[in-house]
Amino acid sequence: MRMPERWAMRLVPAIVVALVLALWEWTVFAGIVRTIQFPPPSLIVASFFGLLVDGFPRGTLLATHIGATLYRILMGYAIALALAIPLGLVIGSSWLLDRMSAPVVAFCRSVATLSLLPLAVVWFGTGEASKIFLIWYGCFWVMLSNAIAAIKQVDPVLIRAARTMDTSTRDIFARVILPACVPRLVSGARVALGVGFMVIVGAEMIGTTLGLGALIMEARTFYRSDITVVGMFVIGAFGLLLSFGLSRAETWLLPWQKHRRA
Amino acid sequence: MPETRSAELLAGFAGVAGLLLLWELSARFIWQDPQTLPAPTQALAQAMTVLTPQRLAEHVGISLFRIFAGFSLAALAGITLGILCGWSRWAVAVVRPFIEILRPIPPLAWIPIAIIWFGLGEGSKIFVIFLGAFFPIFTSAWSGAAMVPKVLLSAAETMDVRGARLLVKVVVPAALPDMATGLRVGFGLSFGILVAAELIAAQSGMGYLVMQSRQLGQLGISIFGIFLIGIVALAVDHQFGVLTRKTIGRWSSI
Repeated sequence: MRMPERWAMRLVPAIVVALVLALWEWTVFAGIVRTIQFPPPSLIVASFFGLLVDGFPRGTLLATHIGATLYRILMGYAIALALAIPLGLVIGSSWLLDRMSAPVVAFCRSVATLSLLPLAVVWFGTGEASKIFLIWYGCFWVMLSNAIAAIKQVDPVLIRAARTMDTSTRDIFARVILPACVPRLVSGARVALGVGFMVIVGAEMIGTTLGLGALIMEARTFYRSDITVVGMFVIGAFGLLLSFGLSRAETWLLPWQKHRRA
Repeated sequence: MPETRSAELLAGFAGVAGLLLLWELSARFIWQDPQTLPAPTQALAQAMTVLTPQRLAEHVGISLFRIFAGFSLAALAGITLGILCGWSRWAVAVVRPFIEILRPIPPLAWIPIAIIWFGLGEGSKIFVIFLGAFFPIFTSAWSGAAMVPKVLLSAAETMDVRGARLLVKVVVPAALPDMATGLRVGFGLSFGILVAAELIAAQSGMGYLVMQSRQLGQLGISIFGIFLIGIVALAVDHQFGVLTRKTIGRWSSI
């Protein structure tokens, strides 16, 4: 690309976004669309700072909502990973277990996580546990099927090579099989985290006013769509941040892998 | 290793049957409280007595309609924009910032806005499903169109195929396998979102069935509904795979 063109490619997006924001602000200002339908950018920024300082409902600061949501996601996610990775590695290393569990895993993955909401409420009540359970369910099956796939795709040549060198079974597992599984495990972990963020908003529809999902829903009932929009962007930003963090961790864990940007 | 097809099927069947049996026995003899954990047979029996076939067909039908409506719109918009972005750098410069800003927002977080824009009727449900399916479809169509092998493009150009004809005859077919993957992922996501979408003042649908039954204390029907959604999703996904292999399987190995 020639230099001027490269500059144009950077400038055009900025100009377009600025134009759309200005147009948005103007249409609300001129009374063409209603504020509740399209809360203007200036109001959204103001609400963001309002949430930081005063909170919504009054006294519940944005940081508190963020904390509650991240706690639920990370708890469900951590439990899912801790269970799914060992279980998946065991299942994937046995032909019989793999075949026996294949239809179950395929089915449980295709069950809509949020359809379990009623079960979660009956089993775990309307507190934290039911939300963590839903996050866990969504993350668990994704991670499990990735862990099974990870160990199945380990190159048998590597294992045979290690065996010819008289490596003990334990060492083969710890130093050959496990490292060979890691790339797929990490990419599975990344997908699972995305699922957690998809599910959380639905999970926070039950019996809480705490958390970003609850904030988003709660704000609508008070006709504060500006707060809804702030909540949407904040949860999006955290999803992005965590997935970025994971891909940094990937680079650090697997320096030998060639990285492509997701 | 006995890696034959029938052994695989047998093992799979044994796994499913074993798990169902375990559930049945533990629910009936250990837990013994159908209000919190009905056995599979109890759930089925409850569903059979309460739901008429017509009502059931209605629930499945309206849910499928919502999914197909949202999904078709997402496919139309996602493929059009994706191909456009793969085709022209200017389109990327204009479209991409908005996509990057909106993509990380979970589809369910749009529900309040969807209600404000489209009311409590079908519109808001279809919109939320649309959002869920749109992003994977767009991304795959874009990368498919952007990564058409240079050789194909040059070959077409030597034969004087340019402009719109190049787009229709070369770029779109070359991007199809990628698009098929995105469409399938998008479809799976729309089932996941359906349940939440049907929390918005719905009167029917599979998601409504699951939620409503709990409030009526009929947990068995909720479980029946959960399985129903899973089975319908699997069946549609399977059909999707068959269709893909039949249509574009000729020039791609998916």
